[in-house]
Amino acid sequence: MTVRPIVSALRKHKITAWLVILEIALTCAIVCNAVFLISQRLQAMAMPSGIAEQELLAIDVANLREEPDAKARVQEDLAALRAVPGVRQVSLAGLVPLAGSEFNTEVKLDPAQKTASLNAAMYTGENLLATLGTRLVAGRELQPEEFRYADEVSKAFAGGDAQEQGVPHTLVITQAMAEQLWPGQNPLGRQIYFRSVPIRVVGVVAHLARGSNLALGGDYSLVLPIRELVKEGNSFLIRTAPQDRARVMQAALAALKARNPHRVILASRNWEQIRAEFFQNDRAMAGLLVGICVALLLVTALGIFGLASFWVAQRRRTIGVRRALGATRGDILHYFQTENFLLASAGIVLGMVFAYGINLFLMHRYELPRLPLAYLPVGAALLWGIGQLAVLAPALRAAAVPPVVATRSV
Amino acid sequence: MFGYYLRLALRRCRQNLPMLSLLVLTMAIGVAACMAALTIATTLSGEPLPGISAHLYVASMDAHEPGDRDNERQAVPDSYLRLSDAKALVDTGRARQQAALAQSLQQVGNPDGRQSDQVMGLMAYGPLPDMLGVALRHGRSWMPAEQSSRAPVVLIDADLAQKLFGTDDAVGRNVAMGKHVYRVIGVIAPWSPRMQFLDVSRNLGSVLGQNEQFFVPVEAALDGGVGPLTSGECSKDAAVVSFQSAEVGQCRWLEVWLALDGTAAVADYQRFLFGYAQAQHDAGRFAHPPQARLYDASGWMTANHVVPDDVRLNVMLAGAFLLLCMINVAGLLAARFLRRQADVAIRRALGASRRQVFAQHLIETGLIGLIGGLIALPLTWCGLWIVRQQPVSYAVAADFSGMVFAGLLLLSLAVGLVVGILPAWRICRLPPALQIKQA
Repeated sequence: MTVRPIVSALRKHKITAWLVILEIALTCAIVCNAVFLISQRLQAMAMPSGIAEQELLAIDVANLREEPDAKARVQEDLAALRAVPGVRQVSLAGLVPLAGSEFNTEVKLDPAQKTASLNAAMYTGENLLATLGTRLVAGRELQPEEFRYADEVSKAFAGGDAQEQGVPHTLVITQAMAEQLWPGQNPLGRQIYFRSVPIRVVGVVAHLARGSNLALGGDYSLVLPIRELVKEGNSFLIRTAPQDRARVMQAALAALKARNPHRVILASRNWEQIRAEFFQNDRAMAGLLVGICVALLLVTALGIFGLASFWVAQRRRTIGVRRALGATRGDILHYFQTENFLLASAGIVLGMVFAYGINLFLMHRYELPRLPLAYLPVGAALLWGIGQLAVLAPALRAAAVPPVVATRSV
Repeated sequence: MFGYYLRLALRRCRQNLPMLSLLVLTMAIGVAACMAALTIATTLSGEPLPGISAHLYVASMDAHEPGDRDNERQAVPDSYLRLSDAKALVDTGRARQQAALAQSLQQVGNPDGRQSDQVMGLMAYGPLPDMLGVALRHGRSWMPAEQSSRAPVVLIDADLAQKLFGTDDAVGRNVAMGKHVYRVIGVIAPWSPRMQFLDVSRNLGSVLGQNEQFFVPVEAALDGGVGPLTSGECSKDAAVVSFQSAEVGQCRWLEVWLALDGTAAVADYQRFLFGYAQAQHDAGRFAHPPQARLYDASGWMTANHVVPDDVRLNVMLAGAFLLLCMINVAGLLAARFLRRQADVAIRRALGASRRQVFAQHLIETGLIGLIGGLIALPLTWCGLWIVRQQPVSYAVAADFSGMVFAGLLLLSLAVGLVVGILPAWRICRLPPALQIKQA
């Protein structure tokens, strides 16, 4: 099949040919970028949390009245929760992974450092890691004697005395954070600074997702040996067997209510709900983008189909003449297929340029990464495929034109 | 002539129905997607309080005190100030109008407790209802003397008045709120800004404006145990309870809004604010360099991402989709017109000018556009319904209205005309003699 007669035929239909090329180019550019956006969202949604996702319940509580002897009451609350049948671990946590709130801290390796080395989510709470079910990859867990109460810690930090008893001196960090701070080195025993207070790394966990703003580094988290009190922003965390969650939640809520009627349950969710809620915008957007991609490809396919049908109808006589002169059905079929392939190729080349331009704009506007080059050949193959599919029916119809048409007048 | 061309167009539309339905459907899908995205975007753009918020500015500065809880999430200062700072700024009176405010959520009832409702409202220092242009149905707002004497007075909205007292005119009645009883001195028309721009930190996730059902002077409120929704940023030894608490003496929890007219006044106030904050920093009250600055209402909403970025991305996507549909339709139209070269040739030979041929074809594409618009109507409605089912913060903005309908028809007509230009131009350019020969 020679290309030249096809090109000269297309020259007769410059406007329509260009419109098809432009259409394919635009579809190619948008679909490449949309698929890239979808993959970004899916990647975010698939991020490892590092915790026992199917076993956790979180109850957010606020006290309406200040309680005397709040510290003892917390221990009683925790004991009451532990007594609920089916409960394996409990903790009062200052932050829950992906629960939407933030408690972040700037991490410095040297107290004199001007800008922080990184920003990490700060986890606190007695028995927190055992409750969350993080996987320890080096070092040890935080020991009970290392724990301090949150209010004492605040006071001690305000005092600025590094030796003070109130300040915690150990912490556990995530692998990602260790790798960022001390690439390729053993993080155990190293120190980071809060203000001027040095704190030693005693353990490393595989993963622990942040509370919210994942853009700061989704897996940069540290855990301090600090006991929390009941207040807004803190949550009771309960670990139980996946199948017991609903029952344990009911029993736990009843236990908390029974202990203190002047208490508001702000939220009670299992962690899978928390995760789903955290990513609900991403899921909705990804769904919308998939819808747009499908619609774009469909419209493009319909457009190609419509134009090809028109061309076939218009060239019926010419086709008949060719058939009468000895062209086979296969020749006619291939003619239209090649024609479509040429148009699609031109569109794809133009589309690559557009795709790159749109990506540059999005990078500038939404701080997206660069479009990986692998998307371009995939996008090209997709559009070639769609073009061939759309043109198949009209091309077959053209191939079916009998040579006798040539002898008839129009 | 117009009517004749329209009749011709209708007749032609009936001739090739499969082609016509392809054209119309493609156009309808494009227009519907675009209209749905535009509806959401327009609901969420423009002035949050038309005619008023353009003159409103909020003061932001890093007012952390040395003993404050160290929450280092903010690289950019927030707008929360202590009551003393808020009062100082409002009392200075350097702007045309100024008031401090905080979002509150309270159980408001009549004193015998037979009727009550949990409603959102604003605690305010200064003439806030007046500054926000809140319309009064009955009564009046509070006087400076009432504010300074901490008189327990409150403004409620007509809906709440109806619910509690069965009448709009509740002036002079008492309502129970917190631990005290407050006298209703004014009833306002139900009020909510188009979008949330006041106290955005306490209204995270709500894009559309909160319906504020009461306005209460802040000090009288605190006296009665009526506090803000959350305590804001507090010092380390502040009370542990932070939800709906009135123990906010050690917290930064109010934001100050100012009405300023003209760039000179804004620049002047900016200097004043900077000086005020710097003086506090120099005196050792503010721990960090204050970085004091004014934000206008829309700037503040942008800085706090009240409207999600996805909304704009959606509009761009929908626009690109419509463009694609238009290119598609233009291609099909060109084909459709070319098929009728012979008719055009005869008309041209009989004396129709190029302009007339052009107009005739444009009227036809305009008509196709309008039909597309009518089909796009249920599609748009359907699209907005789908968005409303999504768990996204802007879902509430996906509301179908009469304006949308008008916009839809206009857009589809415009689209029909635009896509017709190229094919119509091409067909009217062909010389008549050649066309007859071809025929």
